[in-house]
Amino acid sequence: MTLTVAFMVGWLTACGVYLLLRARTLPVILGLVLLSHAANLVLFLGGGVPAEVRPPLVGSGEGPMADPLPQALVLTAVVISFAMTAFVLILALRNRRSLKSDHVDGERRES
Amino acid sequence: MSQALILPVLIPLVAGVIQVPWRSIEPQRVIAFVALAAQAVVAVWLLSAAASEPAVFRLGGWEAPHGIVLVGDRLGTLMLALSTALAAAVLVYVVVGDDKRGRAFHPLFQFQLAGLAMAFLTGDLFNLFVAFEVLLIASYGLLLHGGGGRRHRSAFHYVMLNLAGSLLFLVALGLLYRVAGTLNMAQLGPALAELSGTGRAVAEAAVLLLVAVFGLKAAAFPLSVWLGATYGAALVPVAALFAIMTKVGIYAILRLDTTVLAGLDFGIGPVLHYAGLATVAVGALGTLAAERITDVVSYLLLVSVGTLLLAFGLPEAAGLRGGLYYLVHTTLVTAGLYLLGGVIARQRVPLDDGLQAGAPLAQPLLLGALFTVGAVAVIGLPPLSGFLGKLMILQAPLEHGQRLLGIWAALLGAALVALFVLARAGSTLFWKQGMPSGPQRTAPWGTLVPPAVLLAASVALAAAAGPADRWLAAAADDLRHSEGYRTAVIGEDRGGQP
Amino acid sequence: MASTPLILLPLLGLLGALLPAIGGRSPHVSARLAAAVVLAGLVMAGLQAPAVMGGEVLVERWTWLPAAGLDLSLRLDGLGLLFTLLIQGIGLLIVLYAHYYLPSSAPQRRFYALFLLFTGAMQGVVLAENLLVLVVFWELTSISSFLLIGYWTLDPSARQSARLALAVTGAGGLSLLGGVILLGEVAGGYDLTTVLASGDAVRADPLYPWILGLVLGGVFTKSAQFPFHFWLPRAMAAPTPVSAFLHSATMVKAGVFLLARLFPVLAGTQAWFLSVTTVGMVTLVAAAFLALFKHDLKGLLAYSTVSHLGLITMLFGMGTPASAVAGVFHIANHAVFKASLFMAAGIIEHESGSRDMRQLNGLIKRMPHTAVLAMVAAGAMAGVPLLNGFLSKEMFFSETLQPGMGGTWQTILPVAATLSGVFAVAYSLRFIHDVFFNGEPVGLPREPHEPPRWMKVPVELLVALCLLVGVVPAWTVEPFLSAAAEAVVPGRVPHFDLALWHGFTLALFMSLVAMVGGVTLYGVRRFLFRLHDRYLPEPAVLKWFTEVELGLWRVARRVLGAWENGSLQRYMALLVAAAVALAGGAFLTSGGRLAGGGGEWPDLATLLLALVVALAGAATVVQQRQRIQALLWVGVVGLTVSLTFVRFAAPDLALTMLAVEVVSVILLLLALYFLPQSSPPESTPWHRGRDALLAGVAGVTVGGLVWAAQGTPATGIGRDYLARTVAETGGANAVNTILVDYRAFDTLGEITVLGIAALGVFAMLRGFALPPARELRGRRWDPDAHPLILATLSRPLLPLATLVSLYLLLRGHNAPGGGFVAGLVMGVALILQYLASGSRWVRGRLQVRYRVLLALGLGLAAVSGMVPWLWGGAFLESAHGEWHPRLLGDIHWNTTLVFDIGVYLTVIASVTLILAELGRLGQKRIGRQRPYGSTAPETGGKGA
Repeated sequence: MTLTVAFMVGWLTACGVYLLLRARTLPVILGLVLLSHAANLVLFLGGGVPAEVRPPLVGSGEGPMADPLPQALVLTAVVISFAMTAFVLILALRNRRSLKSDHVDGERRES
Repeated sequence: MSQALILPVLIPLVAGVIQVPWRSIEPQRVIAFVALAAQAVVAVWLLSAAASEPAVFRLGGWEAPHGIVLVGDRLGTLMLALSTALAAAVLVYVVVGDDKRGRAFHPLFQFQLAGLAMAFLTGDLFNLFVAFEVLLIASYGLLLHGGGGRRHRSAFHYVMLNLAGSLLFLVALGLLYRVAGTLNMAQLGPALAELSGTGRAVAEAAVLLLVAVFGLKAAAFPLSVWLGATYGAALVPVAALFAIMTKVGIYAILRLDTTVLAGLDFGIGPVLHYAGLATVAVGALGTLAAERITDVVSYLLLVSVGTLLLAFGLPEAAGLRGGLYYLVHTTLVTAGLYLLGGVIARQRVPLDDGLQAGAPLAQPLLLGALFTVGAVAVIGLPPLSGFLGKLMILQAPLEHGQRLLGIWAALLGAALVALFVLARAGSTLFWKQGMPSGPQRTAPWGTLVPPAVLLAASVALAAAAGPADRWLAAAADDLRHSEGYRTAVIGEDRGGQP
Repeated sequence: MASTPLILLPLLGLLGALLPAIGGRSPHVSARLAAAVVLAGLVMAGLQAPAVMGGEVLVERWTWLPAAGLDLSLRLDGLGLLFTLLIQGIGLLIVLYAHYYLPSSAPQRRFYALFLLFTGAMQGVVLAENLLVLVVFWELTSISSFLLIGYWTLDPSARQSARLALAVTGAGGLSLLGGVILLGEVAGGYDLTTVLASGDAVRADPLYPWILGLVLGGVFTKSAQFPFHFWLPRAMAAPTPVSAFLHSATMVKAGVFLLARLFPVLAGTQAWFLSVTTVGMVTLVAAAFLALFKHDLKGLLAYSTVSHLGLITMLFGMGTPASAVAGVFHIANHAVFKASLFMAAGIIEHESGSRDMRQLNGLIKRMPHTAVLAMVAAGAMAGVPLLNGFLSKEMFFSETLQPGMGGTWQTILPVAATLSGVFAVAYSLRFIHDVFFNGEPVGLPREPHEPPRWMKVPVELLVALCLLVGVVPAWTVEPFLSAAAEAVVPGRVPHFDLALWHGFTLALFMSLVAMVGGVTLYGVRRFLFRLHDRYLPEPAVLKWFTEVELGLWRVARRVLGAWENGSLQRYMALLVAAAVALAGGAFLTSGGRLAGGGGEWPDLATLLLALVVALAGAATVVQQRQRIQALLWVGVVGLTVSLTFVRFAAPDLALTMLAVEVVSVILLLLALYFLPQSSPPESTPWHRGRDALLAGVAGVTVGGLVWAAQGTPATGIGRDYLARTVAETGGANAVNTILVDYRAFDTLGEITVLGIAALGVFAMLRGFALPPARELRGRRWDPDAHPLILATLSRPLLPLATLVSLYLLLRGHNAPGGGFVAGLVMGVALILQYLASGSRWVRGRLQVRYRVLLALGLGLAAVSGMVPWLWGGAFLESAHGEWHPRLLGDIHWNTTLVFDIGVYLTVIASVTLILAELGRLGQKRIGRQRPYGSTAPETGGKGA
C-alpha cells in the first residue's frame, strides 16, 4: 500500500522534473503542475496512508478518522500553487510578446 | 503587548488592501507613508520589548502547536526593524517618480512588507511557507515593475526557480510532519531529538531540503546563479528593497539551525561553510566581471551572503555574534549603494550606470564622497562597519581554529578584489571624462537623502559598535540557548512532547 | 602638560579635513585653515614633548568594540613623538609650499581637505597603542593617499598610478590585518603594552612565521621594498607637495615605523634577520643603481627614496639595538633632506616648466639661491660630512661591519653598503651637476628664474636643519633620538655618540670609497647610460597594470558567463541536483533504510488510481510537444489525484482540488490560445537522456523518502483536533475548523497570495494584447463567435451555481465545503458566462469591479480578525453559539463565517479577474495596447 503511494509520488516527481527541464514555457509550467501534485501528495501523506479511515468529520460515524491537519495544509497549498501557476502562465504570455519567443530564455527566434 | 506582534503583518496588509482600488497614485502614496510610519513605530517598540524575553502571540488564542504563534525574539524583531528601515528609504526614493513606471507598485510594496514581517515573526514552519509565498508573489510583481524584455526574462527565471523551491519546501514539510508529528519550530527540536534510525534519517533529509530551499532564497552557491541577472534587471529601488530578500533566506537558515536543530548532534555547519566559500568566490568573480555599477553591487551582495554563511557555519559563538553585526551592516550598505547607483545613473545619460567614461556628474563632490563612504564600508576597510564586522568574523575561528584558513582566504581575498574593482569603478565614474559635460541635472533631494542616510547608518553602526555588539551578543546568546524560545512558545511542562 | 588628550592629534586632521571642504571657495581661506590645523597639532605635540622626553609614556583609551579587543587606545612615547614632530612640522611647511605651487585653477579645497585627512591618518598610525587601531589608520593612509595621488584626475597616468598604489598598499594592509590578529591572539591582547611585553612568547610560538610573514607583507608594500617597490616611482604623478610629504616623512615611512614599533617583539630571530635584511639590501642597492639613470628629477628622487627605505629596513633587519637606533636616526634625516629635495625639484619644475634633466642645465645662473639649497640637500642625500645624512650613513656603515652576523654576511653586507654608497654619491652628483651646471638649458618651456620668496622658505628651513643636525647633532637631535631609541629597544639602548669624528675607522674608509667611486662612476656615466638603455629599459608598469585590469575583467567575464549562462534549464537542473544531493546524501549517510513497513496490500481502487496517474503522467511527458494533448493529460492527472484524496478520506480536499483543476484547465486552455500549439524539437538525445536521468533520480529520492517515512509511526498532533474541534469551535468538520479557526492565519496569508497574484496579472495584462497563435489565426476558434447552445445553457447556470456556492459556504464549518470551494464554484460559473457569451456581453450586464471586490474580500477577512479586539480577544479569535429565534428554529452561529465570506469573495474576485483579463486579451486591437510599464500617469488602470 505505502509502496504504491510512494511510487505514485515518485513517478509524478520524475515526470514533473523532466518537464521542468524542457526549453519552452508551457511544458515547464505543466511540469510545475505535476510537481505540485506530487508535493501535495507528500504533504498529505504526512498523516500516514490511512488504509481504512473515515473523513475527519466528527460524529459522522464510527471508526478511526484521518488526520485533518495535513488535509488542511494541502488545501492551503493547493490554492497557493494555483495562484502561482496562474501568475507564471500570464508571465509566460507576456514574455512571448516582449521576447518574441516562448523559449524559457526568450531567445530571439519565434518557434 | 504580545498582541502587537500581529501589527507588523496587519498594518501593511490593510494598507495594501486599501490601496488596491485607487486609480490615481497620490492617495496610494499617502497611505503608504502613513502605514510605514505606523510600521516603524511598532517595529521599534517590538525591538525594545524583545530585549527582556521573547514575546509570544497565539493567533486566535489557540495554544501552540495546534494554533499558529508569532514570536518576537531579538533576532526576529531585529530583522523586522531592518526591513522597515530599508522600506522607508526605498519609499522616499521611489515616490520621486519610479513608482509611476508601472502599475500597482504601492500595494505590491505593502504586501511585500507584510510577507517579510510574517516570515520574521512566525514560529510555525508551515506558516513560514505561507509567508514566503506572500513575499515571493509580491516580489514577482515588484520585479516586473518598469517592464522591458530584460526584466521579463530574468523575472521568469526567478519565478520559476522559486516556484520549484516552494514545492521542495512542501515536500520537506510533509516528511517532517510525518516523522516528527509537528511543524511548530519550538516543538520540532525535541521531537527530532527523540527520533532514531530511519525516522531520524528522513528528518535530516527533510532538514537539508529546507536548507536547499532557504539557500535558493539566500542565493547560496550553487543556487546563486539567478541573483546577478535578476537584481541587475530590477528597478533600482526594487533591487535596494531586495537587499533584505536574500537575508530572509539567511534568517530562515539561522532559525532552522538554532531552533529545529537545537537538540540534534547533527549540524549543517559544514554545508554552510563550503557553500559560503564558493559563494564568496562567485561573488568576487562577478564584481570583476561587472560592467555596470549596479551589477558590482549585486555581486558584492553575493559576497556578503557568502560571508554570512561562513560566519553562521562556524561552531563558535563569536561567529554568530559577528555574523549578526555584519548582517545588519551589509543589508543597509548594499541598499544604500543600489540607491546611490541609481542617483549616479540619472546624472549619466546616456551611459546610465555603465562603467565607461562619461560626462562629468552634476554633483561630483557630494556623490563622490557618498561613493567613497559606501565603498569603504562595503569593502570592509576601516573605520566603518564593514571592517568591524569582518574583523569579528576573522577572529571567530581562532577559538577552535576550525576552518580558519578558508574563512581568512575568502574574506581577505574578497576584500582585495572589491577594493580593486571599486577603485577602478570610482575612478571611471568620477575622475575619467569621456564626453563633454551635457545637461547638468542635479538629483532631487528625495533621491539623495535615502542613500545618504543608509550609508550614514554604516558610520553610526561603527561609532556605536560597542553597544550594538552587546545587544547582538545577547541575541546570539538567545539563539544558542533556545530553551528560552521553547518555553516561551510551548511552556516547560509540555517539554516539546508532541 | 599631558593634559591635552592625544586623540585630538589624529582627530585634528580627520575632522579638519571638513574645514576646507566647507570653508569658503577661496583657496587662500582653505590654505590658512589647513595651516592652522597643522600648526595646532605641532603645538600640541610640542606641549607633550617634555614629559615624553622625560621618559614618560602617555597612554589613553576609549572603549570601542571590546568583543574584538578593539579599544581606541593611543600612546605617545619617544618614537611617536619623533614621528609626530616630523609629520606636523614638515606638514606645515608643505601647506605653505603648496599654496605657492598649486595653480589657482586647481581644485585647492579638495587638496587641503585630503591633505589634512591624510595627516590625521598618519598621525593615528604613529600614535596607535592598540594594534588594530594602527591597522585602521594604516588603511586610512592608503585610501587618502589614493585620493591624493589621483589628484590630477584628468591625467590617465595619475589615475592609474593611484589605483596601482592602492592595490599594492591595500593588499599589504589586509596582510597586516591578518598578522596583527594572529599577533594579538598569541600575545593575548592587541595593546602594544601587552604585545611588547610578550616578545619571547611570540617568537617561540608556532604561529610566529605566519605573523612575521603577514606583518612584513604590510611593511614591505607600504615602504616600497623589493619586489613591491614598483608603485612608488609611479606615485610621482601626484602634485609635488604630495610627493614631498608622502615620500619623506609619511606614507612610505609608515612601513619602517612599524618595523621599529614591533622591533622588540619580532626582531632577533634568524627568520627576521634573513627576510628583512636581505629584502632591505636588495632594495637598497638596486634602487640606488636605477636612480642614477632616471632623467626625471622626481623619478631620480623616487628611486633614491626606495633605496633609502631599503637602507633603513636593512638596519632594522640586522637586529642589534645599535642598528635599530641608526635606523630611527636615518628615518628622521631622510625625511628632512628628501622633503627639501622634492620641494626644490618642484620649484625647478614650477619655474622652468620641465623636470627632464636632459633639458635642465646650468640653472645655477638663473636660480642661484634655489641651486645652493638643492645642492646642500643633495649633499645630505649623498652622505657628505657636516650634513645629517653623513651621520646616519656612517652609523649604517659601521653597523654592517659588526661581527656576529655569521660568515658570508660579514663580507656581503659591507660590500653592498659601500656599493649603494657609490651609487648614492653618483646620482646625487648627477642631481647637482646635470641640473645646475653642464652647459645651457635645452628647449625649456619657459625661461627659469627664482621662485617667489615664500616658496623657498620651507626649503631653507629644512636645509638649515640638515646643517644643524650635521654639525651639532648632540645639541639638536640627540635627546629626541635617545627618547625614540628607548621606545624601540627598551632598556637596551646602546651608547651612541653622534660625533662627526670617530677617528680613522673602517666606516670612514667606506665613506671615502663611496665618494671617490661615486665621482668616477658619474664620470663614466655616458657609457653606463648606453648599457642601461640597452639592457634595462624602464618597465612600462602602468601599461602592464592596465592590461592586468583588462585581462582580469575579460577572464572573469568568460568564466562567469560560462557559469551563469542565463539558461533556465541549467539553473533548474542545478536546483534539482542540489536538493537531491543534499536530501539523498543526508538520508543515506545517516543510515536511513528503505523499509516502508505497511505490509498490507493495496486495494484495487488505489492500484487503479496509481496506474492512471502513472499513465497520464507518462503521456504528458511523451506528448509534451503536442501541447493540447499534454494539457489534457495533465488535467487527467489532476483529476486522478483529487480522486485519490477521495479514496483517502479527504472530501474537502478532493472538492477543492476538483474545482481548482477545472479552473486551471480553463486557464491553461485560454493561455494556449496565445501560445504556439507545439514545441519544436530542440534538445539532443544526450540532453534528454541527462534530463531523464536527473528526473529519475529525483523521483526515486522523493518516492524513497516518502516510503521510508511511511515506515515510521504516525504521531501527528493533527488527531488532537478531532477530539477538540466541536467543543472549541462548534464545527464538526475538522479540516474546515483548522482553516478558519486554528490556523486561520495561514488562510489569511493564502488568500493574500491569491489576491496579489490576481493583482499582478492585472498589472501585467491591463492594456495589453496578444495575437492568437499563428496556427490559430482565422480559425473558427474565434473569441467573438460563441456557440449558441453553450450560451443558452450557461445562462441559467449562473443563479444555480450561486445557490450551490452559497450552500457550500454555509455548511463548510460542519460538512465538506467552505469558502474556497464555494468561491471557486462561483468563479467557474462566472467564467463560463465569459466563455459562452464573450466578455463584452458579460461586462454589459455584470457591473462588478473585481479589484474592489478583491479589496472587499481581503479587507473583510482581515477586519473580521480584528473584531475580537472589541472585547479584548486575540486577533482571529472566534466565537460561536446557538440562537433560537421564533419560527426559524435554532441556528448555530459562528463568527468565523464572516472570515470565510471574506475568503469566498477574494476567491471569486481573483479567479474571475485573472480569467476575465486573459479572456479579453485577444479582443483588443493591437493598435490600442500599451506596453506594460509605459510611464502612464494613471496607475490604477480602468477597473474591470
